[in-house]
Amino acid sequence: MQGLPLVFENVAKAFRIKGQALPVIERLSLDCPSGSFTALLGPSGCGKSTLLRLALGLEDAEAGAVTVGDEQPRAARRTGRVGVAFQDAALLPWRTVESNILVPFEVLGSPPPSAERMRELIKLVGLTGFEKARPGELSGGMRQRVAIARSLATEPRLLLMDEPFGALDLILRRQMNLELQRIWSQSRPTTLLITHGVDEAVYLADRVVVLSQRPARIVADVTIPFERPRPADLHRAPEFHELCDEIGSYLDHSADGADS
Amino acid sequence: MNGSGNRAATLVLLVALIVIWEIAGQLQLVAGGTLPAPSAILARIFVDRADYWPHVLATLRTSAAGFVIGNAIAILAAICFCVWPFSERLMRGVNIAIFAVPPIALVPVLVIALDGEVARITLAALLVYFPTMTATLSGLNDIDPRTADLISAYGGGRFRALRMVRLRAAVPAMMSGFQVAAPAAVLGAILAEFGSGARWGLGTYLLGSLGRAEPDRLWGIGVTATAIAGVGYGLAALVARMTTGVNRAVTMAPEPPQAGDAEHRMRSIAMTIAAIAFPFLVWQALLVISQLSPIIAKTPLGVVDYLFFSNASAVAQQKLLAALAETIPITIGGMFLGLAIAFVLALIAFAAPTIMNALLPFALITQTMPLVALTPLAVLIFGRGVAVTLVITVSVTFFAAFVVLAQGFALIPRAAFDLVDAYGANTVKKLWLVAIPASRNWLFVAARLAMPKALLGVMIAEWLATGRGLGNLLNQSRGYLDYGMIWTVALVSVLVAVALYQLTYAVDRMTRPR
Repeated sequence: MQGLPLVFENVAKAFRIKGQALPVIERLSLDCPSGSFTALLGPSGCGKSTLLRLALGLEDAEAGAVTVGDEQPRAARRTGRVGVAFQDAALLPWRTVESNILVPFEVLGSPPPSAERMRELIKLVGLTGFEKARPGELSGGMRQRVAIARSLATEPRLLLMDEPFGALDLILRRQMNLELQRIWSQSRPTTLLITHGVDEAVYLADRVVVLSQRPARIVADVTIPFERPRPADLHRAPEFHELCDEIGSYLDHSADGADS
Repeated sequence: MNGSGNRAATLVLLVALIVIWEIAGQLQLVAGGTLPAPSAILARIFVDRADYWPHVLATLRTSAAGFVIGNAIAILAAICFCVWPFSERLMRGVNIAIFAVPPIALVPVLVIALDGEVARITLAALLVYFPTMTATLSGLNDIDPRTADLISAYGGGRFRALRMVRLRAAVPAMMSGFQVAAPAAVLGAILAEFGSGARWGLGTYLLGSLGRAEPDRLWGIGVTATAIAGVGYGLAALVARMTTGVNRAVTMAPEPPQAGDAEHRMRSIAMTIAAIAFPFLVWQALLVISQLSPIIAKTPLGVVDYLFFSNASAVAQQKLLAALAETIPITIGGMFLGLAIAFVLALIAFAAPTIMNALLPFALITQTMPLVALTPLAVLIFGRGVAVTLVITVSVTFFAAFVVLAQGFALIPRAAFDLVDAYGANTVKKLWLVAIPASRNWLFVAARLAMPKALLGVMIAEWLATGRGLGNLLNQSRGYLDYGMIWTVALVSVLVAVALYQLTYAVDRMTRPR
């Protein structure tokens, strides 16, 4: 099955605080073709998460259009072909690990995965043995991994991730990056990853998009040339560092030169 | 702080209190023997035990039915308010009225409009409604917003989020609401028995025994009523602990929940007007449905007609104003006095943590006591003058306020004290620089919580003992079958209670540091 293309077309969004409109996104267009892996970088509060919420239909754009496949976000999310992992795990504390992974299936009303598939998923995120544990008994990193397993469980054709590894330490983070790449290469869902980590973006994505400070504009759109599968030691390659430096400089620029 | 040490201190205090009470009772030290010794009270309960059963059963039945019905309505209401915030806005006037109204003012009206037992259950349910509704609503709203987003992200609507996230998340809060509601149901039942002419019930028994000079029997009934309320609280706490694994100290919410949404000004004004008009519409609608004669059941317009345009209006106005002139000053005065005593005591307790640790469990227990229902006991000791009104008002205010203030002081972050400590501040300095400024908000919370209780205390004392003010006017009109006045006093009581409540709210907002 093909990945669902995600298209933002001249999208605008403002928040209203005490009657005043605060533009978060102004006329932004971004095209994520089927099966592409796009990473979004940008200063804190620049509207990255808002883009993701627009793609999920959690917010509505004030102008322009967001299209998932050939549908509106709200129609697309009901098909079960969109997966999401938020910045914090958003687990239901009274449910076990397994039961939390089943939440999307219950909401969608679709048949739950087979026992074998569930075992596979849990193994994938390294939580074998914790199937019956509740979130309160897990570390922050483990909880985040449950959320990742949950986002992958429905075999989404569009995967939206908002700093899913933000709570993990560097070692775990690299490990999860490696895993994510492996899973992604198998099924190639269209992926939009929001992150703060330049190295994570460069390692995982086909393309890194750097946003300016609020209101968000695209200040750089960099294609990542490395062959897949990318080995773990790519992190130490000089060309990797060069690319990271380049993107880092765009990011610095976007942070201080907001309206210049 | 260590738990077992606290418990020991509390136990010592408890034993000391009982010993002092026993000695005072045996030697007839208080008001010529109107405070009997605990042993005498228990002995009397044993002697009277055959009389108790029908009364206890009647009160239990009324409070249990009120508890179940009130909670069911409260939970349904909280769910509606959560799913349609518009409905909360519309019902805000009703909610504030239910929170602030002195329940006794509604008893005669309920008795007119409903059958006796139904009227009593209704009052118990009314007292149950508010604590459970606020607790449940805050539980439904207080979720990790990302979990609701997650449900939406997979196409679930608000009912899906309600079913999968909010309802389950609200269980602990709901349970703590039940803990406040259980003794409230008992209080409601007893207050209704005072005013409804019921044949059975502890309230009836208490009133019937007031005329006889038998302090030990009166105290026995009071102790029994308190015990029933306490058992209700204990059962609710037990269920809470078994189902949720947590048992936190519970105090009642000082105000109805308010959605913090920034509304358009015009819309906001329109909603406020609708919220004010809504209770009157409900009132009118209930009377239309019940098909009562307009002579005994007054509609809002009927009350206006009675008070301003009828033959009796001049007399009615005069009576009402005279009653208000007696009731309002003592309510406000009693509340301030109770608040002041609570504040000073909370400060002392705060400066001496040992006292605080020993005292707080008591203070928490008193929250479950049907204090105003014990008014006949206070009459016994303090007579039928203004003193008894003041004592009751001050004590209900005090107990409500002390817990809020003591817990408020305990919430002041240690770091704030460490800072002034580092500059060598002594205890007085610490109180002056940190504790007193920090307690400002808690003082207003305490005031909002205490205000309705103070008004209830005054009206109960007036009704049962002093023969003055609004409470007495209500009781008299009941006796004279002056239906216009019964409805008028009920309405005026609600209006006064809401006005006083809004006043504390306004003063709070105006004096809030920016």
